This record gives sequence, structure tokens and C-alpha cells, in this order.
Amino acid sequence: MSILAYNGGAVVAMKGKDCVAIATDKRYGIQAQTISANFPKVFQMGPTLYVGLPGLATDTQTVYQRLKFRMNLYELKENRIMRPNTFSAMLSNLLYERRFGPYFIEPVVAGLDPIDNKPYVCNMDLIGCPNEPEDFVVSGTCTDQLYGMCEALWEPNLSPDELFETISQALVNAADRDAISGWGAVVYIIEKDKITEKHVKTRMD
Amino acid sequence: MAASVVDTYADPNMSWMNAPHSTGTSIMACEFDGGVVIGADSRTTTGAYIANRVTDKLTRITDHIYCCRSGSAADTQAIADIVTYHLNFHRMELGEPPLVQTAAAIFRELCYNYRDSLVAGILVAGWDKKKGGQIYSVPIGGMVQRQAVSIGGSGSSYVYGYVDANFKPNMSKEEAKKFVTNTLTLAMLRDGSSGGVVRLGVITETGVERLVILGDQLPKFYEG
Repeated sequence: MSILAYNGGAVVAMKGKDCVAIATDKRYGIQAQTISANFPKVFQMGPTLYVGLPGLATDTQTVYQRLKFRMNLYELKENRIMRPNTFSAMLSNLLYERRFGPYFIEPVVAGLDPIDNKPYVCNMDLIGCPNEPEDFVVSGTCTDQLYGMCEALWEPNLSPDELFETISQALVNAADRDAISGWGAVVYIIEKDKITEKHVKTRMD
Repeated sequence: MAASVVDTYADPNMSWMNAPHSTGTSIMACEFDGGVVIGADSRTTTGAYIANRVTDKLTRITDHIYCCRSGSAADTQAIADIVTYHLNFHRMELGEPPLVQTAAAIFRELCYNYRDSLVAGILVAGWDKKKGGQIYSVPIGGMVQRQAVSIGGSGSSYVYGYVDANFKPNMSKEEAKKFVTNTLTLAMLRDGSSGGVVRLGVITETGVERLVILGDQLPKFYEG
């Protein structure tokens, strides 16, 4: 079976008006069995920068640790906060270094540029090919369902509250059609001077 | 209910040909004082995609005999249809409602003789006037075993302990319904191939009573 479907999981990120949102499910499972409902795949890397790392759970943890290491060194040497597109480039490089023995992660980056406050989202395949669209990005084991939900629900210039509703409905309804995603969800709404973290109640099956 | 969690296109070694058939389901039957309670989840998966989230896995054989289906949806539907036909015919010859044991025997004939071609785990449950409420388990391979309480499907692995610890003989109807609901909820919590709603059936002398317990009405357990 596919290694990227061994643990399961789902992440989605969307752009709004002067804001971005990123959401993840919380399931930790091994094939069909659910072990815990407390394993979100989204991590904060900077004041307005978040990364989602769905895929093989061990690589979720390792890539997060290695990413944090590289970011810390960058911020110490450069003495400034890393911008989201730079972060994507660094993550892409980290993954491509392992071109012939890759990390089984298909990451999602979401953030607001600290200088011009523009919203930014990006996703990549497991060897680091970046995709920086103008609307939304999806990753995980229910991408087919997520694409359908996002394409139907998203529209440009959503306010933070509207964006929260949109991204929550997209994630929850897509995960409800996937046997290995779900068991809780966390949504982050990222604005210039405020981060809102909301834990969404979902079906636990 | 169809196959295990496999992505056909991502696996050049075709290990999905030899992959174990997880009978993605949780089913249960439980005797009580006066009849049986049967229950099932409502999820059908093809790989990891949930093809149907409101499936009815409790299938009528006669007014007083039902079966809980796990395994291949196609196989179990075909077998149930054939058993229903045979039992209908037998009922006309007999002149009175057929025995649950007879239904179980017909299921066994099919599941045993075609065991190499079928993937079917079935619980036959019902009421007749000779022995009252009865449950006969017909797992993969085609053996038959009468039991007072029986669980099946991939989700059942997670609840053997709960069932062993909590089953009591001669429960009341309400106790039995609660017991089946709790057990299936716990199985649905842990098993990715089970979920949706809990469908119940209560079979007594007077016939069958069908119930649905929706997701938000299920009992709450520790969700770690």
C-alpha cells in the first residue's frame, strides 16, 4: 500500500482578505486503526508563518525538527524573520536533498509576509516541487475530496470570519468521506496582528 | 466492506492482490430476555474512500430473521438473496415461519461450499417459537456457531474486551440496546473502516423494530 497513506491525514490552507488560514485534522492512526486524536500536523514556524506536514507521521516529526533547526540558524545569522516564500524555498531544498530516498511528506506553507503583509500559500510534492497558487492548497489522503470542497466553497477576499467558516467546512466534509482522516480538527486564522487557533468539533469515526 | 486500504495505482508490486481482506465493518448481535438485538455501523469503503456513509448492513431474510453482513458487499448481498429465496420456498412447504437454525444452515451451505470464492462474515439472528431469540455466527470459511452474543467485522477486534467484560445473560431489551450501541460506538471510534450511524434491529415474537442512532446522539467516550 502507499506509504503516504500509512498514517493518513489532511491539511488545507486558503488565502483571504489580508489574512490566511491553515487547517489540519488530528488523527494519528496506523492503517485502519486510530491510536490517538491528538496529532495535529500543523506547526508554527514564525509569528505569521505556519507549515503543515501531512504524510508519514515519523517524517512529520523529523522534517519539523530539521526545519526548525535550519530556520533558527537563518534567523540568528540574518538577524531577521524569515519570509514565507524564502521558507518554501528552504523546505523545497530540504526535500530535494533527499531526492532518491525522500521524506514521505507533502507539505503546505501558509503565512503573511512580515514586510508587505501579503497572504501566501504554497504546497509541494514529496521531493520539493513548489506550487504557489492564488487561492488554496490541499494535501493528505483526501485531496480529491478537498479539491472538490475548496473549488466549490472558496471565493476571493473572504474576511477572517468568513474564511474560518469556509476552511472549516472544506476540511471537515472532505475528511468525513475519508476513512483515515479526521478525529478532530484545528484551524489557524492568521492576521497581521492576531493569530486565532480554533479546535473544531468533528465526527470521531 | 469492499477491500482493504490500498491505492491500486501507487503500488507497482500489486501487493493489493495479496493484501488481507479487512472486512471493513462493525457488526454485533446480542440475545436478551424475549429476543435479540442486532446492530451495525453504516460505512462502506473502497480503499480509503467512503463510498456510502449511510449503508444498511442489517438485511431482512424473513419477518423474524435478519442477518448482519460483513466482508464483500457483493458476495454478502448475493448470498442473502439466495437464502431469502430458499427460505421463502421452505416456508410455503412448511406452512409456518421457518426456524433461525434453518436459515443459518442455508447460509452455511453456501459459505462453506463456495468458501474459496467468497469473502463473507455473517451473523444470522432472529426469533422463532421453538428456541426463542437465537444468534448464529457464520464467519469466513463457513462454520456455524450459536452464541448468546457475537461480534464481527474489522471493528470487532477493538471491542472483544468490552463485550467480555459487560455482557450479561437475560438482559432487558433496553439494556441490550444500550450494550450494542456502546459496543459499536467504541468500535467505530477506533476502526477507520467503520463509522457513520448505528443501525439497530430488535427482533421479538411480534416482529422487528428498526432504529437509527445518528452521529451526534451516540454515547460519549474518552477520545484521547
